[in-house]
Amino acid sequence: MAEKTWQNYKENKNSKPAPLKGIRVLEVCTLILGPSGPGFLAMMGAEVIKCELPPMGDTCRDMTPFGYLFKGYGPVFTHNNPNKYWLGLDLHNAEAKKVFLELAAKSDIIEENLRPGVMEGWDVGYRQIKEVNPSIIYIAKNGFGQWGKYAAENRPSNDGASQGFSGYAWVSSFPGQPPLKSSIYPCDDYGGLMGEMAVLAALHYRERTGKGQYIELSQSENIMRAMSWVWPYQQITGKTAMPAGNRDVSICPADTFYCADGAFVAIAAPAPEEFGGLCTAMGRPELASDPRFKDHLTRLKEDNATQILKIVADWARARTAGEIEEMAEKHGFAASRVYTVKDVAEDRHFQERGFITDVDDPLLGQYHDYEFPVMMSRTPPKVKRSVRAVGFDNEYIMAHHLGKSEDEIKQLYECGALGKWADVPGRQPPAGWDGKTGLIVAEDGKEKEQR
Amino acid sequence: MDKEQSWSDWIKERDDPRIAHTRPEALDDITVLDLSYKSFAGCYCSSLLAEFGAEVLRIEPPEGDFIRTCTPYGMLYKGEGLNYLTEGRNKFHITLDLKKPEGREILKSLVKQADVLIETYKPGVMDGWGIGYEQLKEINPKLIFASITAYGQFGPMSQSRMPDYDNIAQARSGIQSGTGEVLPEGKGYDECPWAVPTKAGPWIGWAQPATFTAVGIMAALHWRWITGEGQALDVATAEAYARFDDYAALWYEGAGVVAERFGSMDTAAWLYCFAPTRDGAVFLGGLRLEMWQAFADMVGKWDEWGAADWTNLTVFTEKEQQLKWAPLVFAETRKYTNEELVNMSIEYAQNGRLAPITPVVAPVCSPEETMKDVNWLDRGIFTPVKDPIYGKLVVAQAQHKMSETPVRTKWVCRPAGYDNTPTYLKYLGFGPSKLKKLKGAGII
Repeated sequence: MAEKTWQNYKENKNSKPAPLKGIRVLEVCTLILGPSGPGFLAMMGAEVIKCELPPMGDTCRDMTPFGYLFKGYGPVFTHNNPNKYWLGLDLHNAEAKKVFLELAAKSDIIEENLRPGVMEGWDVGYRQIKEVNPSIIYIAKNGFGQWGKYAAENRPSNDGASQGFSGYAWVSSFPGQPPLKSSIYPCDDYGGLMGEMAVLAALHYRERTGKGQYIELSQSENIMRAMSWVWPYQQITGKTAMPAGNRDVSICPADTFYCADGAFVAIAAPAPEEFGGLCTAMGRPELASDPRFKDHLTRLKEDNATQILKIVADWARARTAGEIEEMAEKHGFAASRVYTVKDVAEDRHFQERGFITDVDDPLLGQYHDYEFPVMMSRTPPKVKRSVRAVGFDNEYIMAHHLGKSEDEIKQLYECGALGKWADVPGRQPPAGWDGKTGLIVAEDGKEKEQR
Repeated sequence: MDKEQSWSDWIKERDDPRIAHTRPEALDDITVLDLSYKSFAGCYCSSLLAEFGAEVLRIEPPEGDFIRTCTPYGMLYKGEGLNYLTEGRNKFHITLDLKKPEGREILKSLVKQADVLIETYKPGVMDGWGIGYEQLKEINPKLIFASITAYGQFGPMSQSRMPDYDNIAQARSGIQSGTGEVLPEGKGYDECPWAVPTKAGPWIGWAQPATFTAVGIMAALHWRWITGEGQALDVATAEAYARFDDYAALWYEGAGVVAERFGSMDTAAWLYCFAPTRDGAVFLGGLRLEMWQAFADMVGKWDEWGAADWTNLTVFTEKEQQLKWAPLVFAETRKYTNEELVNMSIEYAQNGRLAPITPVVAPVCSPEETMKDVNWLDRGIFTPVKDPIYGKLVVAQAQHKMSETPVRTKWVCRPAGYDNTPTYLKYLGFGPSKLKKLKGAGII
């Protein structure tokens, strides 16, 4: 049955529509917390116009692992900004503000991640925009929100600041070790994602009532939302939630184990049939009825958990990760070796599902990235177009969306409202660009990308 | 425009969570069936919809969902596990045995009246019960049917017997592998069991896929609003979480480099690390050259480090440069307490040479410190919910502040089947004698 629903999903996804058809988003975002959210909308088919301050644009353009640029751009930037349209608009400039308001009047959603009051200081804040577009949905994401002590102090923030402020790093470490920073940007990415939950709920409300609204999101508060038991536990016990390394203190057994082949494997087997399966796999079926381990709540108690995890660790140590995965499949508990990025990229399952997606971009060429991870049977989200230089689509947006003439566009450049890239890595088009490929032109009322 | 009022006062007057209960709810026209089983992801997903006002019927087997027993150290509060307590919010809890044909018929009657269905059974289970997507869309073509599983509905691993858990999703995503302390040279894992691939403590491998699913459901609702069409959604937890690995895939693709652990430093950014202090650690951030220069200036090293001559931040991101500069930075931060460093950055934003540019400095807190921080208390994230069963309980809430349709947590949780009587009466017209019969037959 499910086969019928998902037959040839990967092969057919480019010929199907995307779900957010007809929705226009205007973003003034930088780094990750800001751009990732509209990036998600763009993968779901919204038309996202990314407005950057020329000539340098988004700071993320040159965020590089150990200085490495992927096809001329920071890979974090490329990953989070697919399918967007690129506008270089200097919002310090009076003419640029007018252009921005003209675009805002024709948009459904505005997204920004600047410090509180900055957009208003540029005369393009929520109070100004709702004058020209009362049904606008406007979201501001940043470290501390729009009001409160830290917002009033105008503190800047980053993902790492939120990992610190929220206690997320504290509970993601090993006992007795200093708090550990995640290698990803969970507070940025998760803030970006959760922001869209509110944006799309607001869109639903607008479809029902015609009313727009303002949304603010603090990345620290948002990651706290995902920390579940930590808060009631502290309230009820009066104690601090403590780190536990790779052990899951709410699921037993669940931990990461070191194997005979030098690999690490994560195992989880809490439910009765799963724990029974693990005990059988370990050749110790009697453990399933041992009074210390007989049911999940008993097994979770500190002493019992420590003992069963030791037993599993000793067993895992004498086996390879592959053997353990096979036994998990056979006996119905969960196990996975700790995948490296190479393992993920080369995993046949991820590839056949199209999660490892093929991008074929006129400017950046062919490459693979991780697809939007919600597969939708009727309206598949997808990465189609890659990133562009600052201001790359200026002419198209000015002519097609605002009906500006060539002369008017020229004047906007001359007065400094519009701008394009600086000739530095991450900002400019790829080396050897012919001045044409990838530009979007309006043809018979339809857009067309030059290839 | 009423610009006399400052922006912060104006918006606080409109989006303070304290007035949320006076505002309408965005999704109060939507009915959701949450059939999730052994999955916090399913519960979290339906919570997000319920926070926006959707009517969520949380359907559990008569004995209750196993996920209720997944609680830290086996601790129960008033009979309930602490994780489930945080994600039972705003839902009507009913019981129904889907293993029994009568139970499935009842489900179908509910499906006719629902907009969204969330389920987490292994692929094929719902189909086998005759209540898979292809079967349910026959009785409700507008249904949005969302599945969250370990490996998804199709692909070679989809028929795996392995269940879905947070720590497995984290391991499978590639992210755990890149996170953790670096093994000190000449040491082994037995000596340093903390220098290993390290997962995040919170159930982010469940909460994040749940949020992706909820966002997908919202997009599907938009599509349905345009076209009237329903559809099926498929989320695999490891894939969803992997999507947050922002650069590893492209770095591997382009350069063949497999990202390795780099402790609390950052492979892709400088200045960007946790730094030790006299009383703990702070996060330092300066992703623009001027912010890194401001840090050097703030700790009195402008001249000695030659900060005025720096022209390019990218070179500092290189591994050798990071390893050279980190000890110099840490030697400075060790001279101060967390509070002193935070205040130095606030002060620098006022009076520093590069003001208002200042480095990001944030304390690395225990969650106990977080929960006492007046900033968050004032903003309503830890306002206790007054629950009729569980009393005043702190669950994180109000992560969005919204001017028209704010999220809110009306109650935190309910025991399994608590709402059977009113819910079955409302949706199916089952009165007390019918319910008694169904209960006797083990169907609810």
